[in-house]
Amino acid sequence: MGKVIVVTSGKGGVGKTTSTANLGTALALLGKTVVVVDADVGLRNLDIVMGLESRIVYTSMDVIEKQCELSKALVKDRRVDGLTLLAASQKNNKDDIQPEQMKTICDKLRSEHDFVLIDSPAGIERGFSNASAGADEAIVVTTPDVSAIRDADRIIGLLQHAGIEPINLVLNRFSPELVGNGSMMDQEDVLDILNIDLIGIVPEDTGVITSTNRGIPLVYEDASPGSQAYMRIARRLTGQRIPIPDLEQKGLLTNIVNWFRNR
Amino acid sequence: MNISLRQLFGRKPKSSSIAKQRLKLVITQDRLDVDDRFMTRLHHELAEVLAKYFEFSVNSVSMSLKQEGNSYVLVADIPYKKFHDVNARQ
Ligand SMILES: Nc1ncnc2c1ncn2[C@@H]1O[C@H](COP(=O)(O)OP(=O)(O)O)[C@@H](O)[C@H]1O
Ligand SMILES: [Mg+2]
Repeated sequence: MGKVIVVTSGKGGVGKTTSTANLGTALALLGKTVVVVDADVGLRNLDIVMGLESRIVYTSMDVIEKQCELSKALVKDRRVDGLTLLAASQKNNKDDIQPEQMKTICDKLRSEHDFVLIDSPAGIERGFSNASAGADEAIVVTTPDVSAIRDADRIIGLLQHAGIEPINLVLNRFSPELVGNGSMMDQEDVLDILNIDLIGIVPEDTGVITSTNRGIPLVYEDASPGSQAYMRIARRLTGQRIPIPDLEQKGLLTNIVNWFRNR
Repeated sequence: MNISLRQLFGRKPKSSSIAKQRLKLVITQDRLDVDDRFMTRLHHELAEVLAKYFEFSVNSVSMSLKQEGNSYVLVADIPYKKFHDVNARQ
């Protein structure tokens, strides 16, 4: 029996799809069986971010409408063993799927995989309730800015209300430099506000953009800081205890400057 | 020495601490499901009562809800000019 984890945020554009693609791939690289599910019906993206867009034949809609078996709708990622994708229908909209139907799909997938990661659409309406309907746990992705954090708090409230637990936070697009000069909130500020557990910090990394251009998840690139951050989060998801490194590696000069600034 | 260095490096409040402070307030209100009308009404009614005791400008009153640990606190900041002499009136 595996775990169904919804990757969600409230606000759009904070890195849900990027995180789902990279964590799914990372978990498969660690030897787990994984299916990533695109729950963004009508605005699907996970397929193109993962570079699997040309191979989609069936979607979750076809499974719900009994046009095809669930196992036939799973697209196998040929680059790594144990990773498949269930795409969202692009010609339907969010109201065409019921939360109960998503739950049925999740229940089946859970029994055959170690991890089921669900890429949630933005918002707090139907798309969110569909994406979270079958979830055991949640990963909330936020960037360290006021609107993303406020929306994350709303989503956390809804997840708690639905009894989904644990809820872990991924702090994305973190910039040690901006934190260092006082223009970005650090992880302690964010955790103090949101009051949930942090599972990892992903730095701002141009590698995310180039890897998305190519359709090759960043975790295949060992050296990039974003890749290493996602690999660590994946290990934590498998239960390994790996401390969260302090990304605030300020130089001596920055420290001195900040000391005067903050007086 | 200290002063000139401070001038050199500037001494504005960090925008990250302002962000945190603003977020804390707005999230507390979000969590309590407090709508703007509620706060406006409270604001007006409180001002009405306070006007009996203080001389102050209604526009200068600021009110917000804060979370401290597990409890919520209503914080009102009311710069007043002077007390009315309540006894003299009676
Ligand atoms: N750590 C990061 N560093 C740089 N760019 C990022 C990072 N995470 C996400 N992005 C970029 O931000 C944009 C939105 O990301 P995406 O995963 O599509 O967000 P969402 O699914 O939450 O809408 C994309 O262009 C993506 O490449
Ligand atoms: Mg997305």
